[in-house]
Amino acid sequence: MPVMNSPYNGRQPSEFRILTELEGVPNSRSLEVYKKHGGYAALEKVLKGGMSPDDVINLVKASGLRGRGGAGFPTGMKWGFVPKAPGEKYLITNFDEGEPGTYKDRYIAELNAHMLIEGKLIGAYAIGASKSYIYLRGEFYGEIAWCEQAIKEAYDAGYLGDNIMGTGFKHHMDVYIGAGSYICGEETGLISSLEGKKGQPKLKPPFPAVKGYLGQPTIVNNVETLAAVPWIIRNGAEAYKKFGTEKSAGTKLFNISGPVVRPGCYELPLGYPLKRFIFEDCGGLIGGKKLKAVIPGGASAPVLTAAEIETITMDYEAFAGAGTMLGSGAVIVIPEDVSMVHVLENLMHFFKDESCGQCTPCREGTGWLLKMSRDIVNGEGSPGDAEKIADVAGKMMGRTICTFSDAAAGPARSIPQKFAHEFLEFYKSKQNAAQAHG
Amino acid sequence: MASFFSSALNETIKGYLGRYETKRSSILPILHAIQDENDWISKEAVQALEAEHGLSVVDVNEVLSFYTMYRKTPPKPYRLEVCGSISCWLNGADKTIATAKAHIAEAEKAGKPVPFECHKVECLGVCGYAPVALVNKDRHLNVTPELALKLIADYSKKDLPAAAKKCAADLAARSSKQ
Repeated sequence: MPVMNSPYNGRQPSEFRILTELEGVPNSRSLEVYKKHGGYAALEKVLKGGMSPDDVINLVKASGLRGRGGAGFPTGMKWGFVPKAPGEKYLITNFDEGEPGTYKDRYIAELNAHMLIEGKLIGAYAIGASKSYIYLRGEFYGEIAWCEQAIKEAYDAGYLGDNIMGTGFKHHMDVYIGAGSYICGEETGLISSLEGKKGQPKLKPPFPAVKGYLGQPTIVNNVETLAAVPWIIRNGAEAYKKFGTEKSAGTKLFNISGPVVRPGCYELPLGYPLKRFIFEDCGGLIGGKKLKAVIPGGASAPVLTAAEIETITMDYEAFAGAGTMLGSGAVIVIPEDVSMVHVLENLMHFFKDESCGQCTPCREGTGWLLKMSRDIVNGEGSPGDAEKIADVAGKMMGRTICTFSDAAAGPARSIPQKFAHEFLEFYKSKQNAAQAHG
Repeated sequence: MASFFSSALNETIKGYLGRYETKRSSILPILHAIQDENDWISKEAVQALEAEHGLSVVDVNEVLSFYTMYRKTPPKPYRLEVCGSISCWLNGADKTIATAKAHIAEAEKAGKPVPFECHKVECLGVCGYAPVALVNKDRHLNVTPELALKLIADYSKKDLPAAAKKCAADLAARSSKQ
């Protein structure tokens, strides 16, 4: 299938390896293999090479690294928000990977959790944190074990403890295990959960960088974000910016799901053409089916039609320009024979299940969106329903403590709007069926 | 008076109580540990946490009721939890769930029950290998209806997990008291 002109034409995904360097390397999870591939050299450079915390923050700022969990906030800038005053500060890794379509953070742990640990240590040095946590979702039994093993190895090797590499830098790290709640992936919900409470988000401001875990300055970073830091320290900001676009620097893990020939987690430079990714790298749809739609950044991202992906590139700006978002880089592929009416119902079921119930527009709104989309699926809908759904979804946006409600409203607005003809056909076929039975 | 918890579990609980900045943070991991040993978390366990370890019933119940992984009623020995979120659904999770549930119900009806229950759960975070399912703590990928039936058959042949045996013994002891 011909694809658009792109600077990446003719180049293979294997050429863009920052996070996935250890792919295919035997025994990749061991500390020994990690060190052979430059592991902990970045930490040494920071601690022994005379880099100040501000030097680290400035380097990360200059690299253009942005949060890879979904929001895309510049990482160095986030670190810079932490007050310089003495006192306990915390760095927490968000490993609560639960956005439908997303399975990239676990892939980093599967390759080598030391990437994350080294990135965390560097981040902790930058913000002055002597304690950090990896918050993992409870269902990630294998990933939890890999992180625990890597932390133990790091302690044994002197990369964690009271006097790291003999430099006097002190840092302790632990895992914390969630218990089944999507909202704990929201940074303030995660902090509530770590405090041993319901994982309900907190009002911002104050932002966690000022007042977070137990009221202390806290940075919450995604796994992929932190795992990229050692490479940036070793190779410099300019090397990182050679990948990606001007505003979306570096590489990103893209995880594809749905009926595609070669699903998996791919590391690609930001700005890579989405169509090429789906049809060349991932082999297109199983059975040569036609593409109907793509959810480009996890279940919270508004849907794109097949026509809309013809020329789009995978970066923060291009997706935002198309009214959707890069999110977690979770590309969900929907084939021609799946009804968008059913897709809407499935997504609304997820959001209804996972709303934490704290804010009325979200708690009630997700319930109504599910009920209305389910009524349509059951043949009890009417042509005015799409407008009602859009109306309810519109009232859920910008009115709640966190952005979960907006995330639920996104697909509820975009699907009936972009696939209005499918909804109309659905009513007609259901009406006809009812009349035939009547 | 004897502790509600086993001595090993008491040691684990004490370890968690001192592991984090606040005692309250230990509630989630302690509930996981209780569930790992007893297969579920009873009201008696929550009361014992307060009486024996000073964790408030109110705080513990807040956590217990919010998070979906904690089982508040005695479960079957094996839980087949199939992800029904968008990526798994696109790859046929509904059929897997329906097939497994029907099989479990039929076995029950025929007087040959299998030690299984099946639930639809939300995203399990391995979406490229859909449908994804857990049998207790074991992850299985590409769980077609056929594979679900095979999993039920294979696990049913195994010796029951220790937690399931303890759960059954606890329930038997409780009913003999009544």
